[in-house]
Amino acid sequence: MELKWPWLVLLLTLLLVALLAVWVRTWRTRQPAGASYVAHAARLRALPRYQVLVQRRRLLGGFGSLAALVACAGGIVLGGRVQETQVIDRDEATRDIVLCLDASGSSAPWNSEVAQEYRAIVDELDGDRVGLTIWNNAAISKIPLTDDYGVVRDQLDIAQEAFAGFDEYFPSEEFNDFTAGTFIQEGPDRSSLIGDGLASCVQRFDRLDEDRGRALILATDGEQRGRGVFDLAEAADYAADAGVVIHVITNPGEPQREGDLAGLQAAAETTGGSFAELGTGGSTEEVVEQINRLETTEIDRPPLVQTLDRPRAGQVLAGIGVGLLVVVWVVQGLIALAGRRSS
Amino acid sequence: MSHLTRVKTRLSIHAHRKVRGLLEGEYAAVQVGRGIDFNDLREYVRGDDVKDIDWKASARSRMLLVRRYVAERKHTVVLAVSTGRSMAAMNDAQVGKRDLAVFVTGVIGYLAVRHGDLVALVHGDERRQHVRPPDNGELYLERLLGIVHDAITPDAGHSDLAAVLDYVKCAIRRRAILVVISDETTISDPVAAALRRLTAQHEVLFLTIGDLDPTLAAGAAVGGGARAPQRLVDVDAGAEVPSWLRGDARLQQEYAALVAGEESQLRRRLDQLGVVHEQVRDTESAITAVFRVLERHRHARRR
Repeated sequence: MELKWPWLVLLLTLLLVALLAVWVRTWRTRQPAGASYVAHAARLRALPRYQVLVQRRRLLGGFGSLAALVACAGGIVLGGRVQETQVIDRDEATRDIVLCLDASGSSAPWNSEVAQEYRAIVDELDGDRVGLTIWNNAAISKIPLTDDYGVVRDQLDIAQEAFAGFDEYFPSEEFNDFTAGTFIQEGPDRSSLIGDGLASCVQRFDRLDEDRGRALILATDGEQRGRGVFDLAEAADYAADAGVVIHVITNPGEPQREGDLAGLQAAAETTGGSFAELGTGGSTEEVVEQINRLETTEIDRPPLVQTLDRPRAGQVLAGIGVGLLVVVWVVQGLIALAGRRSS
Repeated sequence: MSHLTRVKTRLSIHAHRKVRGLLEGEYAAVQVGRGIDFNDLREYVRGDDVKDIDWKASARSRMLLVRRYVAERKHTVVLAVSTGRSMAAMNDAQVGKRDLAVFVTGVIGYLAVRHGDLVALVHGDERRQHVRPPDNGELYLERLLGIVHDAITPDAGHSDLAAVLDYVKCAIRRRAILVVISDETTISDPVAAALRRLTAQHEVLFLTIGDLDPTLAAGAAVGGGARAPQRLVDVDAGAEVPSWLRGDARLQQEYAALVAGEESQLRRRLDQLGVVHEQVRDTESAITAVFRVLERHRHARRR
């Protein structure tokens, strides 16, 4: 917090003091033009009502002066422009990681753990952009790529809770909310389209023109029903073309058909990623290690120095002052009116 | 002749029967005193000089009678005007106390001049007092009125009637009709003492001029189509009467009660001193007030 124009604060304060001095002086000795003279007005001072009025006036005047001073102080602070300088380190890690989560019924019972796993991975990351995409026979972005880890963690917590409420027949409301939009019932019975899901996740990477490290952590059981646009191999090739490393974390899922896991492993290998099973331990470290090994060409940019106006304090001060002034004026007016009306 | 012209105009407009009487010489009746020309006899009242008792007549009529003489023809009317700064204030929403003071002084002076009497002027404030010796003629009176008019300014010293009266005591040696024109609201002890001394020597008539009510709300209608001034300055203190004092109903009541109380107090005090008093409220009633004071004075003497 600093002032952009401290000299202005000084100047305004001096001006205020000078104005006050001038005002007090003229107020003491003022002889308004066109005024009429009245004599023996000093007799009023002996009246009890006069004392009451003076007391009241003192109170109101005191409050009014205070309010005016507060408002002036607020104005001065505003005039000085309180600023905050933020140094934003723009040496962004140039890695993007998309968490690609299979939300189909076969994987869902395991996804709570997967979410925990994801969290563990995210906790190990620093500065990399992370996104979360879930899919069944359609993919939706839960989080676009962001370096706001708070959001990511929150969302993963929500995911964990949502998947904990999975039931094949009576899924919890949280589950339904969280996975809404991932299953489209039109057309032939298709679900858990790995190829499409993977391709969709790959499409979540942005800034494709930049040379960034890209990793995708695919969590699925490898089981697919029906055919999608992409099959797994095609999707893996697509990912490889995009320079995306696919790390696979499999879950036991449903009884496996031959080739499910093999396909996944192949996909991981095609792109140079790791392959691990959920709960076998070490998957997190391995993934993180691999991700860290991803080439990051840090673009050396000078830190971004942002100076932001912080007018809040001044506004609040001025607002309080003006509000008090208005209150005092209103009260004064009401009292005067009541005084005139009385009796 | 502007001041006197105004007085004359007013007097002619105000064609009150009694005023005409005054103009035609009724004024002389005021001056029953101890002269050389015997006038009549009347019953003794307390306070009459024992020397004046006509013992033979008393013996005849079986009640105590005193001789009355027509006082000497040429009287001296001393106009004692308090010209302190409080006189520079307003009397009511329309007329200043200065104008009213000049007018009242003019009426009395004019009556005296018409009667061929001498008019003297004593005026002043706390700082200094001045005297103009007795002289006659309208021109002289006009000059006196001009002096009074010019002496009353907001920059003058504070009003000090006691000082003026003390000055009268020193400056006016001969017996005279002393007309005090002031704006006192109370009779202070020095004023009372001075009056007591002066009543022993002179016939004292006391006219007071009232004040504008400072509690009137700015712009409030005060009757006669006039409105209370927007801004009021207390001429004594030199500070503005704050607007929050004006227009408060309770304060107005208390102020009115205070003024009424002070007025009756003043009246009682002056009655105790044996000084005839009248309050001049505005130009319209000024002539009546002047006349009433003369009338009351005459009655007091005839009592």
